[in-house]
Parts: sequence; structure tokens; C-alpha cells
Amino acid sequence: MPPSKNDNKLYSVEKTTFWFAIASVGLLVTLLLMLFQDHDREWKYYQREFVKLEREKTQEKLDEIIKNVNMEQLQRLKEELKEANFDFKQKQDQYNQLVKEKESIQLPLISAKNRYQDLKQYYDSYKFFFEEDNEAGEQKEAKAYQEKLEKTAVSLETAKEEMERLEKKQEDIDQAIRDLEAEQKTLTDKISAKLRDQERYQKKLEKLKPSVVKELLNAPMLDFMVPTLQIQQIVLEDLNDDFFFAKSNKIDRCTTCHLAIDQEGFEDAPQPFRTHPSLDLFLASNSPHPLEKIGCTVCHSGSGQSLSFTWAAHTPRDEVQAEEWKKEYHWHELEKWEAKMLPLQFTEASCTKCHQGVVDIPEAPKINHGRQLAREFGCFACHTVKGFSAEGGSASGGEGAWKVGPSLLNVKSKVDSDWMIRWLQAPKKFRASTRMPSVFHLENTSDQESKTLSNAGIKGISRYLMIHSGEVPLQSPPPKGNPETGQALIKEIGCLGCHSAEGVHVNDRGPELTGLGSKVSADWLYTWLKDPKHYSPETPMPNLRLSNQQAADITAYLLQDRNEAFESTGIPEVKEADVDQLAMSFLIGRMRESEAEETLSAMDADAKLQFVGKEMINRQGCFGCHDIQGFENAKRIGTELTKEGQKEITKLDFGFVEIPHSRQAWFFQKLKHPRSYDKGRVKPYQDKLRMPDFGLTDEQAEALTTFLLSLRTEDIPLEMQRQLNLDEQAIEAGRFLVNKYNCQGCHTLDGVEGRVRSLFEDLGNAPPVLDGEGAKVQEDWLFEFLHAPSTIRPWLKYHMPGFGLSEDELNALIQYFALLEHQKVSFAPSDISTDQDILTAGRQLFMQFKCIQCHQSAESPGLTASFLAPDLVISKDRLKPQWVVEWLKEPQRLQEGTMMPTFFADGTTPIADVLDGDWIKQIHALRDYMWQLTEEQAEAIKSANLAAKTN
Amino acid sequence: MKKLILSLIALLVTSSAYANGISGTVQFKGTAPAPEPLSMSADPTCAAAHSEPVYSQSVIVNDNGTLRNVFVYVKEGLEGKTFETPKESIEFDQKGCMYTPHVVGAQVGQKIQIMNSDNTLHNVHSLAEKSKQFNLGMPIQGMKLFKQFDSPEIMVKMKCDVHPWMSAYIGVLPHPYFSVTDNQGNFSIESIPAGDYVIEAWHETYGTQTQSVSVAEGEQIKVSFEFGV
Repeated sequence: MPPSKNDNKLYSVEKTTFWFAIASVGLLVTLLLMLFQDHDREWKYYQREFVKLEREKTQEKLDEIIKNVNMEQLQRLKEELKEANFDFKQKQDQYNQLVKEKESIQLPLISAKNRYQDLKQYYDSYKFFFEEDNEAGEQKEAKAYQEKLEKTAVSLETAKEEMERLEKKQEDIDQAIRDLEAEQKTLTDKISAKLRDQERYQKKLEKLKPSVVKELLNAPMLDFMVPTLQIQQIVLEDLNDDFFFAKSNKIDRCTTCHLAIDQEGFEDAPQPFRTHPSLDLFLASNSPHPLEKIGCTVCHSGSGQSLSFTWAAHTPRDEVQAEEWKKEYHWHELEKWEAKMLPLQFTEASCTKCHQGVVDIPEAPKINHGRQLAREFGCFACHTVKGFSAEGGSASGGEGAWKVGPSLLNVKSKVDSDWMIRWLQAPKKFRASTRMPSVFHLENTSDQESKTLSNAGIKGISRYLMIHSGEVPLQSPPPKGNPETGQALIKEIGCLGCHSAEGVHVNDRGPELTGLGSKVSADWLYTWLKDPKHYSPETPMPNLRLSNQQAADITAYLLQDRNEAFESTGIPEVKEADVDQLAMSFLIGRMRESEAEETLSAMDADAKLQFVGKEMINRQGCFGCHDIQGFENAKRIGTELTKEGQKEITKLDFGFVEIPHSRQAWFFQKLKHPRSYDKGRVKPYQDKLRMPDFGLTDEQAEALTTFLLSLRTEDIPLEMQRQLNLDEQAIEAGRFLVNKYNCQGCHTLDGVEGRVRSLFEDLGNAPPVLDGEGAKVQEDWLFEFLHAPSTIRPWLKYHMPGFGLSEDELNALIQYFALLEHQKVSFAPSDISTDQDILTAGRQLFMQFKCIQCHQSAESPGLTASFLAPDLVISKDRLKPQWVVEWLKEPQRLQEGTMMPTFFADGTTPIADVLDGDWIKQIHALRDYMWQLTEEQAEAIKSANLAAKTN
Repeated sequence: MKKLILSLIALLVTSSAYANGISGTVQFKGTAPAPEPLSMSADPTCAAAHSEPVYSQSVIVNDNGTLRNVFVYVKEGLEGKTFETPKESIEFDQKGCMYTPHVVGAQVGQKIQIMNSDNTLHNVHSLAEKSKQFNLGMPIQGMKLFKQFDSPEIMVKMKCDVHPWMSAYIGVLPHPYFSVTDNQGNFSIESIPAGDYVIEAWHETYGTQTQSVSVAEGEQIKVSFEFGV
């Protein structure tokens, strides 16, 4: 039935058709737009750009190669080739003739070969039958075959000759042809050798050229086959991405745009095509972090599967870069995205994902610096971070650990309350370099009311500490000290191994030695120098074994330096009402106001002062860094930071501070301006932010931010982490102690130059180098020495101090020294020859080499102190026998710059008549003799020597 | 013919007599510092070797007001030329607990014969910065060792760690054009090819001075330096 207008339908056909047409067109357009959008992808643009860049680079390389080709030589070769070609043309007839001849003998040669093969078959079969019959005794048949055999043999011989003649002829012709072509061929080879690289690059260039075929292959709808533009991805089989309920292999597609990241030669290319800055450490297949195993986002974070600049979660290094990116890449911050890329300056925060249990991570200076700062500034005294103990250490804190600040248990014996009040007002005014942070009068407490309350608190703290302080008996310096000698001693005896002083800043482990005259008494300083543990059993300050006179001299010198500006600072007046107000603010936090008033009125003025002092100490957490009576079991006051690096941004209070909403920005701001997030907030005094101001530099704050960003728990499979074996763990335990006791402040050890060594003109006077110590000294000697140091080098003015190491620490250090040198720790005594003849020879050599001239015990008269060498009588208890042998062979090899000369230059000995002039035997004899050398023998040899000389 | 031969001989004689060279003296300006006496009492052998007082060699002003032990050498102008290493060795002795000579020059690779003429232990410790250092013990009187320097260096300091007052300097050069001022303050660099040179005079206490000279064929150049306070 044809459609009709009059049909009684619920819809109009025309209208439907019309709208259907519009919908189809609309759908088609949408489809095309979809196709276009799907096709037009950011990464394809970069891949096209990269092809261009690669083409440019190849062209450059090609041009360079062409430039370097010796054109003259090439031209000459080409001309020679031309000539050769011309010559060849001349001989064309001859050549043609040869070719023809070669062709003409082909047929006869083949038939000759066939004939020979034929006859050979007949010959072989006749031979077989003859042998069979002959053996079977069938004489008649045998004879018949023999005849045939002989007859065939003759024709076979003829056929062979003919075949060989023709073969020879063919070979001759071939040779003649080769001779004719020879010159041409050598020249062609030479030319192509010169052009080989050029051709290679030309081919590459050819491949990179745009073409219609490529365009077609990359065209929409067709690009499913073999497009030249492709997404690149690395599937990391040993690493996972956690999608909360499912884990999948980590996939990094960064190389889709960063196309030359692992290729040399793109160091100056524009991003995203630049080569990674340290290929020997990362990405290269022979580096410790190969691209195909580690990928990109494990270190850099970000969204590895995303293919657009913004969605890969690139993070700018600063505001300026953010602006650039907005313009260039239409970048915007992904607010809801958690795994954003780390800005480049913080990338080292990722190292700790796999590198754990080490004091320092190799090649990661920023995170190492950050962790060291966190230890030194005592971050762990207020903030719990699992893996780092409060007492300035890492997981292996152990016994003998100390707090970051000095103990205040006996503070009354050291300073007075006025000094303490001035100090708390502004510690940096007393000593600019102090690590004690400023606690009061900061940006959120600088209004008049806060200042008044702070001053009341400071007075209270000082009162509380004075009341709750023990007292230690002090000794007076018995002799009068000489400041000039003291000044020299500071430089000579070892103070600079930990302290800055005299404008020398090679070490800053202990406080800078300034202004002491404004702080402590002569008695306290003298007593302290003589035995630091007398005042504070937990102090890290070691005992320098000073004589009374030395201690007196140093005391006299250090007390000369006063900080007059500090001394003349006024002590702020504190009214009782201020104390009351502060006390009330503490009390109402825990009881009703009426009860608080009652409690307060029950206290007298001094009790109030002590009360606010105690509360203030409690509030500021002073006990985290200092030992204070009454706070033995107090809990750390700061936020736990164990997972701070993955804290949700929404949990960070940015207040009214205008900074980017990122963790790193928040941390940096908090570290630099700890109270700034109170800006614009209305808060009572007791609720204000209380983190003190450490006066960090930008560089320090950045290192610490890196450390904070590293505090994450990450699910990295164990086999992908850098795991330490038992020996490595023991070495790290040793490194922890070496850092704790600042051994490298004086000694060169474990790849670090002793920090005081730069101060010495004559390194013979510097503290000894400890590289190789584990191979050099016996373990039980080292144990004893570290336990209670004794003098080995009497001429050294630097004193090895006694650190009061625990037995565990001693054993850990001994293991460490031994393992660094791949030695087995052994406390067994050494085994040495006692053959009388050897010992006699040893004694003779010992005399003739005049060992005693330098190696003598302390009191000997004679040479200038700085030219002496260790007493050899103690060698048997101190040195490893095998080390002595190696040392005598060539001291310079074991310790560059040593004053010990080589006596056996180039494997020869100047003494020919002992032990057959065999230098190795002589060295062993010397060593064996030393092993039974006694004090008396040494003295006897010395006086014999002296007598011989004076006569 | 005879005449020709004779004149040729005459020419040869004169040209060898007037071969190219640079010579001169190093004057000392001002008052000579008082000689610094050395105490050798630390080692009786050393003390016994001297009947008269011994003085430090770091500044020696000659009686005629000239300076001894100045090392004068061609610093620039010989670049790109190579010179044969002499076969004969330089003698370097430890005698009476002093180094003799105190300042000496050697060519790169030239053997230096180090002797100990004393009946005591010496160690000869080279503080070379450009060649491999050595530190040799020489406990036996009369013993000899041979060493050489592999790279040019102005100057290599030698010291004895047993006797701290002992020191000497060796100038190591890739060519033979150097000299040390004697007890008349004279130096003489002989048979140098004609050309333009920079010559330098080095003294352990007073530092260095340079002068540019131009040596023509057959010319003897006179150069004088002046050191002092």
C-alpha cells in the first residue's frame, strides 16, 4: 500500500524521513569527529617531530662524515678507477675471447667428467666381483673379471687425464679473467670502504624520509596494520601497579614521547627528546638500573600508562615552569591524582624504595644530606619515623645513643638562669651557627600578648630547670692557663675534628667554640675538658686525654671570647599576672574554669613559675633533645612522619598561605617558616603552632623535603630491592657508628677524606689514614685500642680520644674494618718463625737497615718529633704479620705519601751477604725478628748505634 | 786552494768559538740575610762530619754580591723540538747530611745516580708532582741507586725525612738548555740554536723571573737577573 497523506498514521512520514536524514548526517559527522579525535594524538605529533630531529641529526652526521672523507684521495681513487675502466675497455676483445673460450670448454668438460664417473663405476664393480670370486675360489669367473678390470683401468686412466686437462684449462681462463678485472676490483673495494659509513647513514636517512606509503600506513582506519608511529611501552614483569583490588604489571609508556631517553647523542635535543643525564647509572642495559627492568615511574612517579603531557602527571619544578607549561603544553594540575610525578629536584626521594638499611645511598647526595640533617637537627626527637631512632640514629640506634642536645640534668653547674633566659629568647644571637631552634617570639607569637606570655614561659622554664637540676663537683684549674698555648692547642690537639673554631669550619658536629666567656665558668670548662662524662655521662664529647696544663690553657683561651652584645641584652620583666594568665591557659585545657582558678590560687608565686615552666617544656617538647628531670617517660610531641610522603594533600592545612597545593610545597614552607600556616587565624596562645624555627637555608630545606617525600611505604617486591648480604649489613652497621662518632672528621676512611686533613701542610702530622686498617692491625689489638686508646705515634699532637664505646659497638667496628678489607675476623694469635738462624739474620738486617733510627719509643732523644715512626716493640701485638711483609715490599703502594721509605727498590736489596741477598727472605727475617723484639733489645741496639756514630 | 782550505778552517774555528749561547749573572740586591745555622745534633754522624758550622743553603749570596743556586733555563721557544736523552747520569750525593748539589738540572729520562756517602740512614723522598714519586731508604754507606723523572717539572723537591734540614731541587726539562749559578753567580747555556726564547730564573726563596731574548746565528747573548728583597 503506497504511503498517502491521508493515511491515518500517528506520525508523518515526511517529517520522520527529514529528521532521520538529519540524524544520519549528525551521526556521520560525529563518527568522523570521533575518528579524527582518536587519530589526532599528542604523542603522534612528538613522534613525527622526533623523526624530523633524527633526520636532522643523521644529516649532520652524514655531512660530518662527508666532510671528513679525504676528497683528494677519493678523487684520485676515482680517477684511477676511470683509467682502469679505460684500460679494461682496451682489452675488451681479449676478455670476450676468454669468456668465449670458457664457454666453449664447458660442454667437453661435463662430458669428460661424466665419462670418468661412468668408467669409475664399471671399474669398481669389476673389482668387487673379482675379489668375491677370487676369495670364493671360483677361478674361472675371477680370471674373466680380472681381464675386464685391467682393460677398464686403461680407459679410466685416459678419461681422468682428459678431465684434468680440461679442468686445468678452465682454471687458467678464470685466472686470466680475474687478472684482467683485478685492478678495477681493488679500486672499487677501496672506494666503497671509504664510503661505507656514508652509505650507512644515507640508507638511514632514506628510511626516515617521509613517504606516501608511510602516510597511508598511519592513516585513520588503516593504522591498525603496521603504522610507523606506534605507542612504545615497557612492561615491567617484576614490578606491580596496585589498583586497590587488583595488581597488574607496571607499564611505562613514557618512551612513546621520550624517544631518545636511552640513546647517546641527544644530550642537547629539546624535550621530550633529550638523553637521560646519567646513562651509566640509569637506563643503559649494563647500568644498575636498566630501562627494561626498572622503567621510569618507579623513580619519577607519575602515570606511566598515560600518553598525554598533562595526564602523565608531569609536575613542574616551580611556578615559572608551571606557567611555561601552561602556555606550551596546555598543562594543568591534576588535582585528584595521587601518584603525580616528583619534580626533578626531589627525584632522589624514590631511592629509598629499594635502597634500605644503608647509612648513605650511593650517588644520591640530596637524600643522604636530608637524612643527615634530620639526624643532626633532631627531627626524630619530636617526630616518630619508623626506622629512625630518636637518639640521632637509624634503626640500629642501640645502646650508647645520645640525644641531640646537651643533657640539662646538671645544668645548674654549667650556666646561670640569666644566661638561660637570654638564650631562650633568641639562641642565634648567642651563636649564629647553633642548631638549637628559635622557639619563642616567632611570626605567630610576635604580638604583644604572646610576647608577654612567652616571656613568662621562658622565665618559668629557667626556674624549673634550675630547681630540677643536680650539681656536680667542679675542679678549679690548678695551674694558671696560658691562652696563647690554648689557642695553639685548639688547632693542634684535635678540637677541630668536631668543632668549628678560629674561623676554621671543616667540622661542625659539636657547637662552634665561640662566646664561651659569656656562658660558662673556668671551673666548669676545665672539669669538662678533663672528663666530659663527669658532667654528662651521655655526652658525645669524647675524652681527649688532656694533661692538667693543657686543659687549663684551653680553658683560659676559650673564656677570653665573650659575646658582649648578648650579655647586654635585657632580661624582660615578668609580672605575676602574666604568669597567672599563662598558667590559666594551661589549666583550662584540662579542667573547668572554676577548678582551674582554685588550683591556681592554691599555688605560691614560685610554684606558679615552676608550673608554667614545666608546662611550657611539655608543650614545646624540649625533652626530645635534652635530658630533663621529670620528663624521663614523656612522649614525643610531633606528628608521626613514617608515611608523611604519601599523606593526602587534603590533610595538609595550607591555611591562608598562597603556595601550590602539593606536598613538597607544603613541606618546604613548613620547614622554612614553621609558624606561617597560622597566618590570618584567630587562635588562643596555647593553640598556636609550636614547631620551632631552625633557620634552615633553602638548600637544607630542599634536602629535608626530599627526605620527607621519601617517607612512604611502597610495595616493591623483595627481589627487586637492593638487598644487603650479611657482610654488607655488618659494614653498614659500622658505617653508622663511623658517622655517629664522626671518625671521618679526622681520619680518611671508606672513601671519605679526613676532614681535618686539609688543614695540614705536612700530612705526616695529620691523624693517620685508616684505609686498609682492617688488613693492617690485629683484631684484638684494635679492640683494646678503641676501648682505651694508647699512644702509637708519640710525635702526633692530635690525640685519639676515648669515646667510651660499648662492647657491641667495639665488635661492630672491628667487623667493619675487617670486612672493608675482605679479611676474616680472627682473634687468634699470629704464628711466626722462631728459627735461630733466621732471627740472627733478622737482627743483622735490622741493624744494617737502621730501623731504630726512626722507629723509637717516645722519650728517645734525637730526631725532630715529627720524623719519628711507631715503636716497633709493639708491632707483634698490633700488626698482622702478612701486612708487615707487604708493607716492607713497597710502603708507597699501601699508603701514598708515607715517610717510610722503600728499602728494597725494584725488588733488590742493598745487602747482598745476608740470606743470599734474597729480598723476600730478608723481609720475612726482619718481620720474624721484630716479632720477638723486646724493649731491652731495642734499647741495646739504639745505644750500640749511638756509640758507633759518636766514635 | 790552500788559501781556501785555510780560510775554511779559520771560519770553523771562529764559529765554534763564537757558537750561539746565553750566559750571564744573577745579582743579589739589598743586604744579604744572615746565614741560618743548621743544628745537626739530632744525628751524631751528621754533626761529626762537619768541623765548622753549617748553614742552610736556601739563600747563598756569593762574596761578589751575586746569588748562588739559581736555576736558569729556557722556558719557551723550543716547543715541538725533540732532544736526545744524554747517556751520562747526573750525580746526586748525600754527604755530611747535605745534598750535593743543592740545585741541579736533568733531562727527562736521564739517569740520576743517587749516592749515600754518609754512615747513617738517609731516605731520599721525591715530592715530584708530575712524575711518579719515590721514597728510597739508603741505610748503607756508599750505596748507589738510579732513578729518573718521566715528565718535565720545575722544580722537583727532594727531602730526607730522617734529617729534616736536608732538601734539594731538581729541574726536569725536555731539553738540555739549562744552567745553575755558581759561586760567582754565573750561568751559561751553550750551543743553543738561533731563535727567540723566554728564559726563566728560578730561586727557591725568591721565586721566578723571566726575560725574552733573541739569539742570532753565532751570537753570545748576555743576560742578567736581579733577585733580592
